[in-house]
Amino acid sequence: MRLLIVEDNEELAELLAKGLQAAGYQADILSTVEDTRSVLGRTFYAALILDLGLPDGDGLELLREIRQQNNPIPVMVLTARGGLQDRVRGLRSGADDYLVKPFALEELIARLEAQLRRPGHLLDSNLRIANLEFDTRNRQASIDDQPQLFSAREIAVLELLMRSKGRVVSKKQVEDHIFGHSGDVASNAIEVYVHRLRKQLSERGAKVQVHTIRGVGYLIAEEK
Amino acid sequence: MPRFKSIISRIVILHVVAVVITSVLMSVALSWLLSYATNNIHDKAMQEQAVSVGEHLSAGPDGRLELNLPSDLLGLYSQEYGRYSYAVTDDQGHVLFSSLKDSAALFPGDARAGAIEFLQQRRGDATVSGASIRREVGGQTIWIQTGEDLANRDVLIDDIVADFYKNVGWITLPILLVLLITDIAIFRRALRPLRQASEIAAGIGPARPGVRLPTDELPREVRPLVSAVNLGLDRLEEGFRIQRDFTADAAHELRTPLSVLRTRIDMLKDDDMRRALSQNVEGMAHIVGQLLDIAELDAFVVNPEEKADLRSVATEVAEFVAPLALSQGKDVALLGAGEPVWVKGNTEMLGRAIRNLAENAINHTAVGSTVEFVVEGNGTVSVLDHGPGIPEDERNLIFRRFWRRDRRKKGSTGLGLSIVQRIAELHSATVTVENRRPNGACFSLKFTPAAA
Repeated sequence: MRLLIVEDNEELAELLAKGLQAAGYQADILSTVEDTRSVLGRTFYAALILDLGLPDGDGLELLREIRQQNNPIPVMVLTARGGLQDRVRGLRSGADDYLVKPFALEELIARLEAQLRRPGHLLDSNLRIANLEFDTRNRQASIDDQPQLFSAREIAVLELLMRSKGRVVSKKQVEDHIFGHSGDVASNAIEVYVHRLRKQLSERGAKVQVHTIRGVGYLIAEEK
Repeated sequence: MPRFKSIISRIVILHVVAVVITSVLMSVALSWLLSYATNNIHDKAMQEQAVSVGEHLSAGPDGRLELNLPSDLLGLYSQEYGRYSYAVTDDQGHVLFSSLKDSAALFPGDARAGAIEFLQQRRGDATVSGASIRREVGGQTIWIQTGEDLANRDVLIDDIVADFYKNVGWITLPILLVLLITDIAIFRRALRPLRQASEIAAGIGPARPGVRLPTDELPREVRPLVSAVNLGLDRLEEGFRIQRDFTADAAHELRTPLSVLRTRIDMLKDDDMRRALSQNVEGMAHIVGQLLDIAELDAFVVNPEEKADLRSVATEVAEFVAPLALSQGKDVALLGAGEPVWVKGNTEMLGRAIRNLAENAINHTAVGSTVEFVVEGNGTVSVLDHGPGIPEDERNLIFRRFWRRDRRKKGSTGLGLSIVQRIAELHSATVTVENRRPNGACFSLKFTPAAA
């Protein structure tokens, strides 16, 4: 699987390529908007890691061009500017995700893999927290490599939580995920499902914890 | 010269002065013209009368002159009528004929006088004004004098003169006033583009530095001023741009090397070393981020039209800091309003203020306790912790840059609360600090509510 890194800091680009290689990805490096434009036209890459501050132009401009050409390549934007406004602008320009420098290599790889697993970019890969594993392809959860049976609703909640590992999932997101936008949801329905899931996971010996962030949402993390 | 605040009032005052001067000058000129014209008419009439009297003079066979006035002329010069008089004198000054009772001459004779003279003479109480013409009749040179008693002067002409003054006076004033009003209207019209430009100028501020005053509609006289103002605005905008560019450049120059360092550390084989160095780099990135925030805030201006949903900003911050809290065995919760709470302000900056309060609270709250966010409908967001609280004498110190109670404590830069305060200042918001019972601190930010 080949990735393209567009970053004008040579040292960072090479380190990222090396780090990605250790995780099983081959990466090519470019440093200008001009080169990227021509290379993307003739070479297929599984994903693009794009720095915004390039010497010969704005990365966002390039990103808009790519999207205008209906190129669906997943794009991970790297930037030194961490403002919310910058983030919103980046995502509006067609970025799939956004990382502010300095970021952990592990975080970059995790986010990248989340992108590559999107529909259209199927990759046989499992999500894992401690001894809990979730296979996104056949939506199968296992604890200590033992396949587990959950109800459809519980699996849906678990999948959403696992995909957002390390981040809070809002109650609204869970509602939308399970019932769709038009669903008539009882006010405590989500809490009931989360409560059941939590109980099931604990009874079956999963070393994870589903935290309720009151007024905000839910977050799954390794048990402390 | 008094100073006038407005061009219009200056015009009005100067115009009134001009009106007064014009009225006086016009009256004097008209009066002179009128008296000149009436005197002319009088002189002409007198001359004609003298000529007419002369036509009735004839020399008899003995050389004596005879005057045979027809009855209408006799009536004109009668004593009863008393208004006109005539006299005929010879070149010696002897009176030959006279309509006066004492048979005197109207004017003293003067042999050197020309063919026609206009004269004036006082007779008793009256003043006689008239003409004297020279004639040759029957070989003799004689002077025929006619005069009019000015006291009995033609009433009609005097009436016309008097009326004229009255009417002209009444007509002049309104005409001049109409002119004044027209002038004011013309000027207001001419100044309208200037007023419009002023309204646009009133909207220019650091939040909208790109606005320029239109010069197309403006009178040529004020265009240089407006162009100069526009050029000044260009320079100011450039200054703002340079400051913003500096922040962006600084962010890039500082964060990219940190990113290199971070990635290098992430690739270390030694787990303990990697963890320790990662924490160091993260701490450093945090300080760099806060310094960049401060630099950005120094050049930041809140657009007065911007508004933000405090509820959703607080939710986003709570989502963002929840993993941090959980990793330290602490929790966060969002309470209060379930509906959007709109306040005036910049979403990004509000988020940064709340995030700094939240990080501060998570740092200080006891392990196992919950940091609570409370959003209220009146535009207030509070962050409550279960830490040691803030002693009374430290409440003003905590907002100072780099102030820390315990300099040995890790994870604190002493910048967070100064950022909170700066953002509050920019938004005209108030920050309050209170201690909670039995323990903990409560920081509240109150923003200005905005319409949804």
